[in-house]
Amino acid sequence: MANLQVEICGVKFKNPVIAASGTFGFGREYNLLYDISVLGGISTKGTTVEPRLGNSVPRIAEGSSVILNSVGLQNPGVEHFIKEDLPFLKSKGVVIIANVAGRTLEDYGTICSRLDGLVDMIELNISCPNVHSGGMALGIKPENIFKVTKLSKSALNKTPLIVKLSPNVESIPTNARAAEEGGADCISLINTFTGMVIDIERRKPLLANNTGGVSGAGIKPIAVRMVYEASHAVKIPVIGMGGISSAADAIEFMMAGARAVQVGTANFSDGNAMPKIIGGINGWLDAHNINDINQIVNTLTLN
Amino acid sequence: MKDLSVTVKSNKKIAENIYMITFTLPEGAGAMHGGQFVNLSTGNGANLLRRPLGVCMVEGDDVSVCYQVKGGGTKYLSTVEPGRKLQALLPCGNWFDVDDYEHIVVIGGGVGIFPLIATIREHYRTKSFYSYIGFRNIDAVCLYNELAKSKKLTITTDDGSYGERGNVVSAYLKDAANVPADVIIACGPPVMLKVLKQKLEEEKIKVPCFVSLEERMGCGMGACLVCVCKTSDGGNARVCRDGPVFNINEVQL
Repeated sequence: MANLQVEICGVKFKNPVIAASGTFGFGREYNLLYDISVLGGISTKGTTVEPRLGNSVPRIAEGSSVILNSVGLQNPGVEHFIKEDLPFLKSKGVVIIANVAGRTLEDYGTICSRLDGLVDMIELNISCPNVHSGGMALGIKPENIFKVTKLSKSALNKTPLIVKLSPNVESIPTNARAAEEGGADCISLINTFTGMVIDIERRKPLLANNTGGVSGAGIKPIAVRMVYEASHAVKIPVIGMGGISSAADAIEFMMAGARAVQVGTANFSDGNAMPKIIGGINGWLDAHNINDINQIVNTLTLN
Repeated sequence: MKDLSVTVKSNKKIAENIYMITFTLPEGAGAMHGGQFVNLSTGNGANLLRRPLGVCMVEGDDVSVCYQVKGGGTKYLSTVEPGRKLQALLPCGNWFDVDDYEHIVVIGGGVGIFPLIATIREHYRTKSFYSYIGFRNIDAVCLYNELAKSKKLTITTDDGSYGERGNVVSAYLKDAANVPADVIIACGPPVMLKVLKQKLEEEKIKVPCFVSLEERMGCGMGACLVCVCKTSDGGNARVCRDGPVFNINEVQL
């Protein structure tokens, strides 16, 4: 049994496997399948100051080895989260990462100051492709990333700040550095790619929102490259994600420089995906006589 | 609710474009009721989404669900042979709870008939079912022997090639005065459910009515908020977890 514990910004995770925002709700449903306290952490459903109803249906579509979603940040609002969901998550002893989003720059400050000290980490969602204001508009240009990061960081005294980067950009290293310069304690990537699926009989996009965020196994090689680029562009820790569905996938991201990983779409294909990945990482480390997961982080040598 | 690897026992065409797949659970699954569904992998690794399919028959550890071949995923599923393992989340969602009712009107159309058949099979020995079942045409008619467990069965087709020509909602309304109904349960195309709701209001039929809804799903357990429907108060409900069965007055159709 290898040591799987990782520490990011002073926060201790019992293992490096974190549920990705938007695929796991606030953990209650998956807790009916298995005890979610086995997870390293949970990044919550994207939470906003006010409740949101999200987009029209259909909100989900499929491509080869990928899915597209356009939920549009349906969530019960931050006060409901604090009252109804946070006590449950705290009882599970997992690292709680509040994924937060806003319509305006000011929203990010408001929600960060409301959650400061209440959760273990805050993950800024500035890269959601499914909302028409805020969201991705703030996550593309480096100057906007710098601005929203700085404002959010200034609202936080206790809770470390993760900035989640969009892949729909010109330069990952530039944007990663913009987050770091804005005061981010950590970055996570990648959010989803913007995509479209067309129903050729109706000659219309399948998603009601026309476009949606592409995720799943098919995007993994691109995500690994971007995580590699980001982790070599900044000094702050990086959390990697994008199409992870097995222990081997998670190990790839960690070798590319990620200190922990998030798993999203794989939960839809197998509800027990994350416990299996955690077990698989341990098995791989044992098979390779490595006694600490941290020893594989950023160990890639290029050809 | 469990996420299990299940073994395919049979996978057969039962009508034009409609297949029934039967799989064996690795252990006793506990009770499963009509209206509940299974989120089932297609067997093709490139399909990351599972297909939510209403439970149609449960016999011991064998569960049967039916599906229409529509896109690439269900096309692949139709080629899956006995012995293959599929990943299944089950049982999902709520069900047609008819425990408090004696006389049950069943209104079903197309692939919506399968969860209704599960309900009929579960209760026909102790309750009376009056079923109005619609198919596109004679080639789509299937599972007649199961439907015939109803006390009264009316089948309609769009083109009159089998049973009565017309739609099931009209067929029921024509009979409504003569059929004892403590509850109506319905599942079928959105337009059928919409017309049913309108007509029940117009005709002032006050019998409680429960409908099972279909929507494209992600996780199948209520976490991802993909498969929502609009509730009468303007909010959202999760079809997979708050449903798929809803009181017809509580959802917008």
